[in-house]
Amino acid sequence: MKKTYSIVMLSICLALVAAMAGCSGRTGGETSGDNADAKDGIAVYVGTTIFSESLDPVKGAMSYGYSFTNNALLKVDPQSEYVGDLATDWSVTDDALVYTFKLRDGVRFSDGSDFTAEDVAFTYNTVKENQANNENVDLTRLQSAEALDDYTVEFTLSEPYSPFLDTAAMLGIVPSDGYDSEAFDRFPIGTGAWKVAQYDADQQIIVEANEDYYEGAPAIPRVAIVYLDGEAALPAARSGDLDISMVTPNFASDRIDGMRLEAFETMDVRNISLPVRAETTMQNADGDEVIVGNDVTSDVNVRKALAIGIDRATIIENAFNGIGKPAFGFTDNLLWADTEIDADAKRDEAKGILEAAGWIDADGDGVREKDGRACAFTVYAASSDNDRYLLAAALSEDAKELGVDIEVKTASWDEFGKLQYSSGIVWGWGQYSPTVLDSLFNSGEFMKGPFSNVVGYDNADADARIEAAYGAGDQADAIENWKEAQRIANADYPYLYLVNIEHCYFVSDALDISAETQIPHPHGHGSPIICNMKDWTLK
Amino acid sequence: MYDEDLAIAKNGRISAMSTRTGLLVLILVASAYLLFIFFRGVFMDPELYASRFADKFLAPSLAHPFGTDFTGRDMLFRSIKGLSASLVIGLIASVISSVIGLVFGIASAVVGGKFDKFILWCIDCCMGLPHLVLLILISFMLGRGAFGVTIGVALTHWPELTRVVRAETLQLRAAPYVLASRRMGMSTFRIARTHIVPHVLPVYLVGLVLLFPHAIMHEASITFLGFGLPPESPAIGVILAESMKYIATGKWWLALFPGLMLLATVLLFDLIGENLKRLLNPTAGNE
Repeated sequence: MKKTYSIVMLSICLALVAAMAGCSGRTGGETSGDNADAKDGIAVYVGTTIFSESLDPVKGAMSYGYSFTNNALLKVDPQSEYVGDLATDWSVTDDALVYTFKLRDGVRFSDGSDFTAEDVAFTYNTVKENQANNENVDLTRLQSAEALDDYTVEFTLSEPYSPFLDTAAMLGIVPSDGYDSEAFDRFPIGTGAWKVAQYDADQQIIVEANEDYYEGAPAIPRVAIVYLDGEAALPAARSGDLDISMVTPNFASDRIDGMRLEAFETMDVRNISLPVRAETTMQNADGDEVIVGNDVTSDVNVRKALAIGIDRATIIENAFNGIGKPAFGFTDNLLWADTEIDADAKRDEAKGILEAAGWIDADGDGVREKDGRACAFTVYAASSDNDRYLLAAALSEDAKELGVDIEVKTASWDEFGKLQYSSGIVWGWGQYSPTVLDSLFNSGEFMKGPFSNVVGYDNADADARIEAAYGAGDQADAIENWKEAQRIANADYPYLYLVNIEHCYFVSDALDISAETQIPHPHGHGSPIICNMKDWTLK
Repeated sequence: MYDEDLAIAKNGRISAMSTRTGLLVLILVASAYLLFIFFRGVFMDPELYASRFADKFLAPSLAHPFGTDFTGRDMLFRSIKGLSASLVIGLIASVISSVIGLVFGIASAVVGGKFDKFILWCIDCCMGLPHLVLLILISFMLGRGAFGVTIGVALTHWPELTRVVRAETLQLRAAPYVLASRRMGMSTFRIARTHIVPHVLPVYLVGLVLLFPHAIMHEASITFLGFGLPPESPAIGVILAESMKYIATGKWWLALFPGLMLLATVLLFDLIGENLKRLLNPTAGNE
């Protein structure tokens, strides 16, 4: 009978484990609530990526533009333009090789030491020397970083590199005297508005206002950034333990007493890579044989028909409760984005293109064929990201209208390494630096980086424009070249852009998160909301 | 029958169904339900459980008795399809597992000596590790998916049956007619085939049926944990894992009905197995 018991118990556990998720979430929330005393601070849930990575800027922390402990030389403003942060002014020589930054006077690190050009040079040189530890800030083209005097720093590049200003906005400055590679993983010292007071791995990070912050100390003295399971966040918010709770669009229709839903503009787009090469096998960077190319998506007519024929509004409605904007390329809140294309839901035109190309549904099963090959391919979504799966499923349903059969599957990021060259993959992109275009379109990147140019795009004109953009002497010139590279590549539709997502959060009615100083959110739903945490106030 | 009834009454498990016919009817009804699910799922048109976003998150109604999920899939059909997939995997895995158990059990007892020690050692190894952990290891190593789960379940469920078969065989080995056959020069293989297998068969059959619920539960469990069937497949473990995300927002039907269906399936198998045991071995009540 023992056997029967164990089976019954196991069944009951499985059947009811779902119901218990709510309870466990509540416990987690309460703990955090106790620690961050409600009166002198707030508790926020902004996802868990902040816990999975080092907080040390030298190792690439917070390079997307919302560092809270350290400042970079530049920062983006709500209009996506670069403005000075630790630098007040900067200039570039005509040959685009020497960048000179004038630094802000009277800034202090949270350990009390003065911020000078020495610290800037130290930070840049340390990152360059340990480039392998930092995959977010690329300083391989930096030749030297020198402090000319206490408040002037000069960077010399080995070759022109126009995205260097992006770099200057990404890399937080650490103090040259107090830098400790190990301690900074959890307790970075910087000039930022916050300093880490307590770090409990995978539980919470408590930050306190930096009284010495050069713009003045934040109004809220303490913020507990708590770690929760995604499913537990909602119950925790509902029980009043959280002041901010990140939420995926699917739950955004929920209502929580005392909280409002805020959806933020982002530059985060979701697209699907469509391999442009005919199917063959090749060796990848690791020397493994992989299937490259796809005989359906390699037909530009299929890619174009999808791009102009799908109804993005319906897809977004179905997958994301209607939260998000249709995307046809990168978003207009990026200075370098080309936003000329916007064909959407042109069903008849799309069908015409497919028919003219020989894709005809002869057997009446709803899927077109050509030379005995069904117009069908597989799209993979990361198994860890339900939103992407939903998006792909919604696309699949919509593409049926066009007679294109998209099978949606899930796989882990590791598995993408083999699948990405021959199947569609749902990607998410969104960063201030235009270097993403290089990894999307540059033929030289194919089979190089882990997720670079997976479609196998190869166009000499686009390559030349990317090259020209890198070498451009001034930003306007660089931007023009980046745009042209996109125009050339997008005419071949190697990526099917679907949606510019919006980051949703439940925010306590008592909290003002200063919507006007929020920057457009970069990729990574969760943390970006803290970009202006220093401006938040409690009502 | 009198003896059996008495025995059952002594154990405090008296019931109206404790007659031979009653047991048979019970087994038939339970089997019919399970067979229905099995065949309904295997021959189901994929359109029935396909995404239809227009119908997402519908509460249970006449059109969708189990409601619909976040992509508008009908949960009744999805649950049946999922259970059917579990049954297929459970069937294959139990058959493999029970054959391993039968062969190892008999061989171990008949051959004896070092081979017996080796088999016992294997059993100890297998049972010494937590079931689920071993399952996850094997399934993960074989690339997950239906193949990984099936092999994983098959390779972890044989020890119990092996022990039972071995004990039974040891008993038989000392039986006079087996000793006599041996003296008369029958080969070990022939003794095993003609004298032992027929006697062990009832135990084997019951063991096979009782393996089922374990196999199904374990398939569902590791799929639930993300080491089994892929998330896009209609599997009961996937359904329950997904339902967790939405339970906090009040979508109770996503977890409840599929969970109950799984529970019913497992309990029915157990019921069949236990009753089969009483039918095939009426004196078991005296043990």
